[in-house]
Amino acid sequence: MIDVRNVHRRFGQIHAVRGVSFTVHKGEAIGLLGPNGAGKTTTIRMITGALPPTSGQVRIDGFDTLGQAMQARRRIGYLPETTPVYPEMRVTEFLRYRAVLQGVPRRDRRSAVDCVVEQCWLRDVQQRRVGDLSKGYKQRVGLAAALLHDPPVLVLDEPTSGLDPAQIAQTRRLFRSLAKGRALILSSHILGEVERTCDRVVVIMGGEVKLTGNVAELARGDSLRCVLEVKTNDSAVLRSALSATPGLRAINAEPVVNDPAWMHAVIETTGDGDVRERVAVAMRDAQLLVRELRTVERSLEDRFMQLIEEPAATSDNISSDEKTVAPA
Amino acid sequence: MNVIVAIALREFKAFFRTPAGWVVSALFSLLCAIVFLTGFLPGEPATMRSFFVLAGWLSLLIAPAISMRLIAEEYRTGALETLSTAPISDWQVAIGKFLGGSACFVAMSLPTFVFVAALAGTANPDYGPIIGGYIGLWLLGVALIAIGLFFSTVTRNQVAALLSTVFFVILTQVAATIVARAADGAIGAWLSAPLYTLSLAPRMDDFAKGVIDTKHVAFFLAAAIWFTSMSAIVMEARRWR
Repeated sequence: MIDVRNVHRRFGQIHAVRGVSFTVHKGEAIGLLGPNGAGKTTTIRMITGALPPTSGQVRIDGFDTLGQAMQARRRIGYLPETTPVYPEMRVTEFLRYRAVLQGVPRRDRRSAVDCVVEQCWLRDVQQRRVGDLSKGYKQRVGLAAALLHDPPVLVLDEPTSGLDPAQIAQTRRLFRSLAKGRALILSSHILGEVERTCDRVVVIMGGEVKLTGNVAELARGDSLRCVLEVKTNDSAVLRSALSATPGLRAINAEPVVNDPAWMHAVIETTGDGDVRERVAVAMRDAQLLVRELRTVERSLEDRFMQLIEEPAATSDNISSDEKTVAPA
Repeated sequence: MNVIVAIALREFKAFFRTPAGWVVSALFSLLCAIVFLTGFLPGEPATMRSFFVLAGWLSLLIAPAISMRLIAEEYRTGALETLSTAPISDWQVAIGKFLGGSACFVAMSLPTFVFVAALAGTANPDYGPIIGGYIGLWLLGVALIAIGLFFSTVTRNQVAALLSTVFFVILTQVAATIVARAADGAIGAWLSAPLYTLSLAPRMDDFAKGVIDTKHVAFFLAAAIWFTSMSAIVMEARRWR
């Protein structure tokens, strides 16, 4: 449905998007993830045709967003980051106006508006002025407007920013139901959001795709972490005690904040099997008292944080333009 | 066509749903009324000539106040993003906006029909110059709205749009009057003649006399079409920036 092929975008000197490629199939929801300024919005704007790519191509249902712009645009429902509403209009009036813009035939307009009002829980506010609505409701009005022409492709840029937790849970369910039979792209810098709504993630950083994969697979992770609390106030003691234990990659030890006699350590393992037994044996041999020892599965969040932190940790190896922040 | 009408209609409604719209149109009515009443005396000729001449000059400031929000506002609120991703062309947007702004201008001049009624009630006016005057005023307004639309397209700030429109209009008027007159004697007609043609408000004098000169009609319409087209082209070009 959505086919992004080696898309680049420059803004003058800034190379905001550098060769992004991915595809989204019908019935699939993908999350576009990345820190602020990573190029998410630029990528999304190129998908929706708001911005032409400097090079590369985006096809929507086979239609090129530049050469066959009208056909492509007719198939997209787009909710931009800043919800575009006219404050002086009433909700249904605004939706009718948008229905005309989207090319919904006159005879279908009323039912289309009724349908999205129902879908986005706007019935109670349909006669209110859009400008008087809360941010959450405005966001839903924007979403309703994007759904008017029942588009096969739905593109949502940070759709839950500004919503309260109850609304976020509600909208998430809505997104899941919307993804059925459609291709859905959702951008976010909040990982939990993507984790819960999407099948697949595409992580964009510095204008490049850094990671792409199935949410379930990524979340399962390949390596495990182990948390350990032992009675010592010297991290060197702990390190030397574990130095001979195989399968450990890194040890990050800090005294427990309110209880400095104890050391809290997070052990990164190489991922081949459970290390708890080996750690326990090492602690016994070193005569250290253990009060906690457990494994922690690495979540998608950890992968994501690791990706974000990696360039910072090895910033010496990265040329300065690599870190250029693209305008959102 | 549907889309153009929808855009124009939304623009028209929005103008009269904001306080700014009513303030601008009240100001216009008030100033026109003052000028009209100074000539509305026993013994004076029952004409609206002085009103039309003043309304023409006033339009140079009033029309930009209507046109400033046309695109700049959409740009600021991010609503332009939906217009540029909807299956409509930038030309439809530009033409819709132009028609909406023009309708606002015409609507704003409607309260001045009271003056016509007042004249008709107290004297026996010649309706030719009055009809001509309104046609001229509306044509002038339409041309100014198109100029304003263009400046509203180039900036995302409404105040900048207003100021650059007013500045542009005043500059052309200075060129068409003071500079042209000076050039007439010192340099020659090859320079002054084209400068004279830039004049906007002075063309109202002929309309107010009841003369509907095709030269003026063509000038205003050409200005409207040219600047509306330029706005559409700028909107198309801006995607690439």
